[in-house]
Order: sequence, then structure tokens, then C-alpha cells
Amino acid sequence: MSTEHVNGKVLKHGTQTRTMHWIHLVAFIVLGLTGIGFYWDIAGIASIFGGPANASLVHRWTGVVFTVGPLFYILLNFDRFARFIDTIGSFSKEDFAWLKVMGGYLPFIKVDEVPAQDKYNAGQKMLGWMIIIGCILIILTGFPMWLWRHSMSAVFLNICYNIHFWTAMIMILLVAGHFFLAAIHPKSRVEFASMMIDGYIDAEISAHHNGKWFTQLEKTE
Amino acid sequence: MTTFAEKEGMTRRQFFKGTGILFVSAVFMGVFSKIGFDAYAASDEYIAKRAAGLYSLDESMTLRKSHLNPEIAQIYKDFLSPGEVKPLTAKSERLLHTRYGNEIPALIEELKNPNATAENEAA
Amino acid sequence: MNSIISDGVIHVSDRCKACDHCTSVCPTGAIHGHLGQKHTIKVAKCINCGQCLINCPFGAIEDQTMVTAVKSALNDPQKFVVVQEAPAVRVALGEEFGKEPGFNAKGKMYAALRKLGFDKVYDTEFTADLTIMEEGTELIHRVFKAVGQEGFEESGPLPQFTSCCPAWIKYAEDNYPKILPNLSSAKSPQQMFGAVAKTYVAEKLGVKPADIFSVSVMPCTAKKYESSRPEMIASGYPDVDAVITTRELAQMIKDAGIDFVNLPEEEADKLVGTSTGAATIFGVTGGVMEAALRTAYEILSGQSLTNVDFKPVRGLKPVREATVEIPIQALGGKVLPVKVAIVTGTKHVAPVIEDILAGRSKYHFIEVMNCPGGCINGGGQPIRRDIYTEGGLL
Repeated sequence: MSTEHVNGKVLKHGTQTRTMHWIHLVAFIVLGLTGIGFYWDIAGIASIFGGPANASLVHRWTGVVFTVGPLFYILLNFDRFARFIDTIGSFSKEDFAWLKVMGGYLPFIKVDEVPAQDKYNAGQKMLGWMIIIGCILIILTGFPMWLWRHSMSAVFLNICYNIHFWTAMIMILLVAGHFFLAAIHPKSRVEFASMMIDGYIDAEISAHHNGKWFTQLEKTE
Repeated sequence: MTTFAEKEGMTRRQFFKGTGILFVSAVFMGVFSKIGFDAYAASDEYIAKRAAGLYSLDESMTLRKSHLNPEIAQIYKDFLSPGEVKPLTAKSERLLHTRYGNEIPALIEELKNPNATAENEAA
Repeated sequence: MNSIISDGVIHVSDRCKACDHCTSVCPTGAIHGHLGQKHTIKVAKCINCGQCLINCPFGAIEDQTMVTAVKSALNDPQKFVVVQEAPAVRVALGEEFGKEPGFNAKGKMYAALRKLGFDKVYDTEFTADLTIMEEGTELIHRVFKAVGQEGFEESGPLPQFTSCCPAWIKYAEDNYPKILPNLSSAKSPQQMFGAVAKTYVAEKLGVKPADIFSVSVMPCTAKKYESSRPEMIASGYPDVDAVITTRELAQMIKDAGIDFVNLPEEEADKLVGTSTGAATIFGVTGGVMEAALRTAYEILSGQSLTNVDFKPVRGLKPVREATVEIPIQALGGKVLPVKVAIVTGTKHVAPVIEDILAGRSKYHFIEVMNCPGGCINGGGQPIRRDIYTEGGLL
């Protein structure tokens, strides 16, 4: 961790990445809302979309966006995707040390110094994996319930339904936590603009929070 | 203002990690689909098994033809066509036969007023 | 019972997840609802077959129950309760007690029914045989009429359709009234039994018909509708007072604490309880046809069959056909190639009917069963949730 003040800003996420994140985020909210409306039979939610049949239509086609969006991104930005997988797929002793203290975010765990992290800290890496797995499960069980609902066996439809629901519940909780840290918690929301607005974060913050990554960066001007 | 950014491109290791994840996902989806197809194939097996149960029960029985059932001969001789085995008598028509669609109201009338057709039962 | 006619037997409960799987198994398109919208059944179009019920992934569809009426009758000392059971029940009942589909639970079924308190335990297979006698003779008369024999002018037209499946009957009444003359006038075995129970059996046993409560155990939900039809009063009383499904019987057995799998093998009561193999196969598609052919062949030819199997009519394909050459003794031994067809799954019957109405059907006798595979896969049977095949993943 550096002791001197660093000037400047870091471009953390490019335009394509931020666009993808926004699309996926909005899709997730629509999917979660309509999904909750179906599961708990909430007429109020269905009526926002013009009734349960329409809500289902919106849910399915938003699911298409939710699936196709990331696929497109991966195809057009395979290098970024590969770097991302490399980052979240590497767990060093600094990552495990971070996990032991949960990055200092929990009020009841006291910590003086958090070890230097990659572009994403260990907690974010874990979230990355859980979202990837969750999305695969939810997409894999969602489409058959729509496209093959007549031909597939009844018991399999039941299995898809249950996996889809439980995965959704877990993902909603994860995303709620992710949202809290990204937009509300005073220590972590400093990164908000880096994904949600212009892509930039103060160099001082990256040097402090993502030290291992910061040393790999190039000066561009 | 100084700006920092990542180096573009990817290393070989990153390329393989990226494609590796896509490959693992595809395998996972394949396994899930296989379970789905297996469930589909298994979903109707019980019908053939129940059918086989009936056919082997049939094979195990000594009486396998309806007209050789002794209780059948008895119900005809004692009740439906006294003294002989004769289907389609008037009594059989009334008890064992029916009508469909718009002929039903007339049938109900006949059944409720058996006296009107009693003379037909002399046979 | 009246509400069964007005409200239908089957209804979708609130547990419907709007997954839309059922609309593809409904033979008449009676289920309304888009994907995402809770589904409902249009009573007028519903033929009460229960295919939607057994195929619902969430068990959200229910059938009206008559179990309370049965239990009351069993507890009523004034009532003489008789029971009949369909062939298809005995190879599926065991599944509710851990046995494989196809397990022969016939003997234990009789024993369980006695333990439940039924006064006489008979068998629908008796009237299945009776149906063959009546319907087979009717077919012979229609054939004689068709070939110009004298004295058979009053008989109906060919081809003759079987009439034991109440879902098929309602389908024909609702959609093809012009085909009704082709339906055999014979009642189903269930209904023949009911009429016989309150007349012949009452007489033989010296029981007052008004005191008889006649129950049937069926693999079928449409049989509940059939028993409630207003014309089913030939005995002077409702011929069948209550119908319970295989599932409902299993539940009654469990509720009574009966250890089903360890019951001894018993036999049915005599008089109207004797079965034949021909009656037994009534529960599978092609079975009624085969039973009819066994008898028709012997009666028409005057010859005895050593091999009673008519394998060409067997199988699970939705529409099957066969030609059986029968030498007709009454026509001097002339061989008649009898052309038969078997339909399983009501959605496949329309083309066959259209052919007949257009005058281009080549068949003499057609068996129709609404449920794919026959009554063994009826709406009242144990619900299967099999994932793996014999060889299987695990």
C-alpha cells in the first residue's frame, strides 16, 4: 500500500462494459419484479404490466435480453471477458486474508490493514462467480419452461421451476448486497461512477483498494 | 490530469481461461439437457409396464374368452334370456344398453315409465 | 352428484403456476389461459378425462370426490354396499404402496376392499365379459345387415365404435353428433354392472334394491361423470351410486391403517365376480378389440381358438389397424376380412370420424380409448414422477 498521495484518475470500465452492466441491471430488476409477482401471485405487480399474461410475456422477452446481452458482450469483447475471468479466477493469499476480515466492511470485525487486492477484491470475485453460476442456472431452466413447456416431461418442468425460483431468490439477495455496497455504503460507494457513470475512479482510491492491479496500469497521458 | 488504464489485449493464459469457462458452461448445460431428455424418455415407461401387467395376468388365467365365463351363461339363463344364452333381448336392451345425445330425454322417459314397455318384456 | 354434471369433474385449483403444460394434453382444448395466466377449464368442452390432472407438474388440478358418500354408506348398517373394480386398477394400485407399475394387486385389492367393509366385492371384469356378449352380438347383427342378410334391417350402421369410454362418448356427443348412430348401444362395463347389481344381484341375494349402494373403483375420472348421467337409472335407481379412483381407494386403505402389501390374496365374491383374461385386457388400448375378436371369431366361425392372442391390435401407437380373417359359419364358411382400427388418445380420432362421415372408411369395428395407452393411463390412476429410465443416469 502506498503512503504517498497519487494524483490522477483511472479508467476502470469502458463504455461497452458499462452499457452491458446497465442493460443487465435493468433486465434483472424487471425479471425479479415480474418473477416475484408470479410466485406470490401479487396482482399489483401483474397490473403494472397489464395482467399476468402480459407480465409473463415481458418476463420471457426480458429474459432474452438478459441472456443475449452478456453473450454479445463476450463475443465483441472477448479479451476483456478473458481478463475478467483471469482476475476473478485467481485467488492468492492476499485474497484469503481479505476474506478472513471481509475487507473490513463488517462493523463487528476490527481490522487495521486490508492486504492489497486485484482489480476486484476477493469479495467481488466471489460475487462474480455466484452471479455467473446463478445466471447460467436461471437461463438454463427458464427457456425450457417457455419453449418446451408442452413437450418436456411434467417432473422435469417441476424441477426447472424449483431451480429457477431458488436461484432467483439467492441472486436477488446477492444483488441486494451488491447494490448496498455499490451505492450506499460510504466506504465502497466511492467506486459508483466507475461502473454506473463515466468509468473513472480516483487513482488514489485504486492505489489504496486495488493495489496489485494499480501497479500494472499504464499512464495514458 | 494523469489518466491510468489497463493494457489492451489478453495473454494466452487469459484466452484459455476465458474459453475454458465457456466450455465448462457448455458441458454443464449438456449434462442438464441430458437429464431432461432422460426424464422425457422415462416419463411414459410406466404405461408399457402396466400394460405388460395386464397381458401377463391374461396369460395366467384359465378362462380367457368372455363367452366361456360360467357366470355369464348363468346371468343369461337365469335372468336376461331365461333358459338360453341370448344377447339383445328386450330386458338386455333396457338394462344394458343406452342412447346418446338428443335421444336421451326419450330414454329417460321410457326408463321412468317401465309399464309402457312392459309388454315388450314377454320374450 | 348433480354438481358433477353442472360443474364437471375436473377443476384447476389456485395452486396453478400457469406453466401451460396442460393445454397440450387436453384432447378438446377445454383449458383456457395463456402462459403466465392461471388456467381454467371450460366445463362445456371438458370431457372429464383427467389427463390434465395426471400431467400437471404441480399437482394443481383436482377431481371432485365421492369418497364421503362411500364412507357414509359403509358406516350405514341399512346399506348393502357392493363394489366393482376396473381391470386397470389392479396393475396400478400397488404403486401407491411402493410396488412397480404392472404389479398384480388383484388378490390384495379384494382383501383390502373387504377390510374396508364392503358387503360384496365383485369385479367389473364380469360385466366386461357381458359387454363383449352384448356388443359383440350387436356387431355381428350390423355385419349381417351390411352384407344383406334378412332380418337385420333395424341394426345400426358400420363401422361400429366401442362405447365403454365416457370421455369418448362425451367427445362424440359434443363434437360429432352425426357419428352417434355408429356408437355401440352397449353401456360401459361399469354401468352394466350398476344395472345388474340392483336387479339380478338384488334378486339372487334377496336384498332390496333400494338398500343397495353400488360403488365402483375406476382408473378414470370421466366414470364419475358417467355414473351421474341422468339416463343411468335403468335399475330404477342410480345404477352406480359412487365412483372412487385408484388414488382415492389407496388413500382410503391408508386412512384405515390397512397394511396393504402384507394382505393375503383373496378372490372376488361369486355371482358377478368371475373374470376372464379377455375381460382383464379391457384396461389397455387394443384390449377391448382383442376380447371382442376372441369371442366374435369363435361364435362366427363355430371354431375354437387355440391361440387367443391377436398381437396386431396391441401396442401404444395412437392409431393402429388390423385385418382379421373370420370364416362365417352362417354364410357357409365364407371368409370375411374384418377390418378393425384402434385409437388411443382422443385427439387422433377426428380423421377417423371424418373418413366415416365422408363414406370412405374401410373399417367394421373401431375401439376408441381417450387416454394414451388406454385406461391404465387414466385420470384416476397413481400419478408418476419418473425421472430415470431402467438403465438410467444413476
